[in-house]
Amino acid sequence: MPEIASQELRVVGFLCNWCSYGGADTAGVSRFKQPTDLRIIRVPCSGRVDPLFVVKALLNGADGVLVSGCHPRDCHYSDGNFYARRRLEMLKKLLPFLGIEEKRFHYTWVSASEGARWQQTVTDFTKRIHELGPLHAKKEVTP
Amino acid sequence: MAETGFIQKEKLNDFIKELSKDAVVYAPCLEGDTVLFKAFDADKTVCLDRPANNPPKLAIFPQSETLFNFTYIKDTEDPKKMSVEIKANTEFPKAVIFGSRPCDANGFLIYDRVYIDTNTPDPYYMGRREKTTIVTLCCNAPSPGCFCVAVGGGPANNEGSDVLITELEKGYFVEAVTEKGKAVLNAPQVESGASYADEAHKKQLESEKLVKNPFGKDCQPEISMSLFDSDEFWEKYLSKCLSCGACTYLCPTCYCFNITDEQMLNNGERIRSWDGCMFPHFTLEGSGHNPRPTKFKRFRNRVGHKFVYYPEKYNGVIACCGCGRCIRYCPVSVDISEVVSYLRGSQPDVSSGTKENAVTDTVKQEQK
Amino acid sequence: MISQKLQDAIAGVSDKVDVVIAYQQGFDKLHATPCFMTTPEEIKNVIWNPLCVHNLTSYLPSLKKKKVAVLAKGCDSRTILQFIQEGLINRENVTIIGIPCSGVISVNKILQAINHEPVEDVSFDEKGNITVKTSKGEKTFSLQDVCPDKCKTCRFPTPIVYDVLVGDPIESNKTYDDAYADIKEFENKPIEERLKYWEGEFDRCIRCYACRNACPMCVCQDSCIAETRDPHWISQRATLSEKFMFHMIHALHLAGRCVECGECERVCPMNIPVNKLKRKINLDMKELYNYEPGVTPEDKPPMYTFNVDEVTIKEHKI
Repeated sequence: MPEIASQELRVVGFLCNWCSYGGADTAGVSRFKQPTDLRIIRVPCSGRVDPLFVVKALLNGADGVLVSGCHPRDCHYSDGNFYARRRLEMLKKLLPFLGIEEKRFHYTWVSASEGARWQQTVTDFTKRIHELGPLHAKKEVTP
Repeated sequence: MAETGFIQKEKLNDFIKELSKDAVVYAPCLEGDTVLFKAFDADKTVCLDRPANNPPKLAIFPQSETLFNFTYIKDTEDPKKMSVEIKANTEFPKAVIFGSRPCDANGFLIYDRVYIDTNTPDPYYMGRREKTTIVTLCCNAPSPGCFCVAVGGGPANNEGSDVLITELEKGYFVEAVTEKGKAVLNAPQVESGASYADEAHKKQLESEKLVKNPFGKDCQPEISMSLFDSDEFWEKYLSKCLSCGACTYLCPTCYCFNITDEQMLNNGERIRSWDGCMFPHFTLEGSGHNPRPTKFKRFRNRVGHKFVYYPEKYNGVIACCGCGRCIRYCPVSVDISEVVSYLRGSQPDVSSGTKENAVTDTVKQEQK
Repeated sequence: MISQKLQDAIAGVSDKVDVVIAYQQGFDKLHATPCFMTTPEEIKNVIWNPLCVHNLTSYLPSLKKKKVAVLAKGCDSRTILQFIQEGLINRENVTIIGIPCSGVISVNKILQAINHEPVEDVSFDEKGNITVKTSKGEKTFSLQDVCPDKCKTCRFPTPIVYDVLVGDPIESNKTYDDAYADIKEFENKPIEERLKYWEGEFDRCIRCYACRNACPMCVCQDSCIAETRDPHWISQRATLSEKFMFHMIHALHLAGRCVECGECERVCPMNIPVNKLKRKINLDMKELYNYEPGVTPEDKPPMYTFNVDEVTIKEHKI
């Protein structure tokens, strides 16, 4: 269900295998209604998310990028999300310097049991991206 | 049709606009403090004060171009079968290179031997080349690093150009060099130029004297092959080289390329893009072995290609036009003319004097 | 003369090392060039003046196994400290000949001021002025007007680390805030203007990789992901998005590592202000993690570590 049926935007989500991907699954199994703009990419850990993944997505057609991992102190690999937090915070501050709205990128923590929190996160983030509109309105998009 | 003409200074911009009416005009445009060959439009400022940072090679040999697009199509009857549909575009627009320098124009002659004068001409290069008219501006004075006269060129050399322009006090003297060039002189901004011919030719001769010639009068640097083959020589002079591609990408005579396929699902394209011997991937083999693993070996190839291998193949013609860009823009000021003059053995103090014998052991390329 | 003192200092250490990296005269009077010396006879070619702009310490990681003596200005010495933090050199193999520096010259700024005329002669006076002679005449510039921007706000004119110091230490009265004033100014521009600015700058990029190869901290060099097919980060297309992506790779791989020597910017044949992105990240690193690259040998780069409770990072709400 896109916000506006004819104008689905492209939101890319990088979800850690152990918490957030499970959380998204919980939301699905519980039949929580979610916007369909999000494309999920499963990664082993939020620590696997190179900030360049986010940049590459934004430069190549994504209108928004969401990264979600286990809550701090709850990482399956003990400290992957601690590294992720430092890197992603750095990226969040860099994006506006490049002229890309900071709001197009969000990182958060969702555990496998938090289906409702996942639903809320996706719904709110997609809404925000729709408010911002497409990033690549007139620009070239290379495959 | 007129062979010569004259354009008043204030009419030059209109002249370029006139040319851009039925052709893409590549002209040196000012961007900040950088002069770049770009497709001209009315918003851009043409700068003829000095040679552009990049050569105009991109007009005929773009940094990257799609050779063809391909699509895989599944057979609806038999899902195991796939057919490929290929679409290639070899239609190119009419183009004018305006404001190239004699060295830049000379560079295209080096390309022609490789891309056109062979049994298998390159349709992409040839297609663009045939549709491009080269309007060259003579140099009044050399830029830092220039050495065109040492490699058979000159600040008023017309080889490779279709039209030659000389800047005079009040305007520009225009000479048609080829039939293609004569058409350019039909523009309404061009008036009769016969009375300016003497002044222009005098100016051309003057500028010739100002260019340095590191290789001596014969214009044929004789490379000492034993020095060329010695690793010590290269290691000594090229330790500082960073092995970046500034020299090859800014070179009007470097023509090496790479071909890659970029595919998404069933659609893709085959791309040809510039490549350079200064990059490690240029010679990296599938096995992981790299025959040119070090910086100095890569640079030796660059010098070798221009001053040894190409002349061997093409009648002693040096594949360097002396534009000096690789010297000017080198991050660590590696000077190819200096390296070549060392290779001639004119500086016998190389490698702490141990190569005395090697210096005299020179090989003349013309004899090949 | 400082050149003489320097040559003496080099002669003093040259027998203990395999190679000495210093400066000599380049292809014209306006250019110095790095030189690698292996014999004492070559020491007489060594020069020192404000045209000695290159960061010679960049060569150190590739010479890790050799004993090297290297010339280092204040800014260059930060590179060495960063190398030590990251374990990229063996400190005992490196002899640092430090030179206090009151600023170098931006060759581009001179060329712009003299209309890119070929230079016949260059001379310096004691006040720090440079006189450039061309066929059109002589012009004198004060160092302040023709130095790279990094020199105007230099906080480390004297090397932070050295084995031999040639010349007297110089004090700086510049502050941290002075050094980043331009970044803060750029941050205040409208967001559309910022995007337009970078698109305009990166559009000129020809991907010659001079910025990467000149960067002392870009230690991947031949294995850089900007060129590999596997992983396939960027294609060989000469499009803006690929150029933009390359510069993002460069900037993000230097997050919390860039020592701001400015080599990337100096070497760019297309005059792209490449260092600006990295300086912006450095500013954030200081704010977030109280870290500045290449200042003390004991520090740990911020991306190599973490705190369980990050006091400076607030959780983001949508």
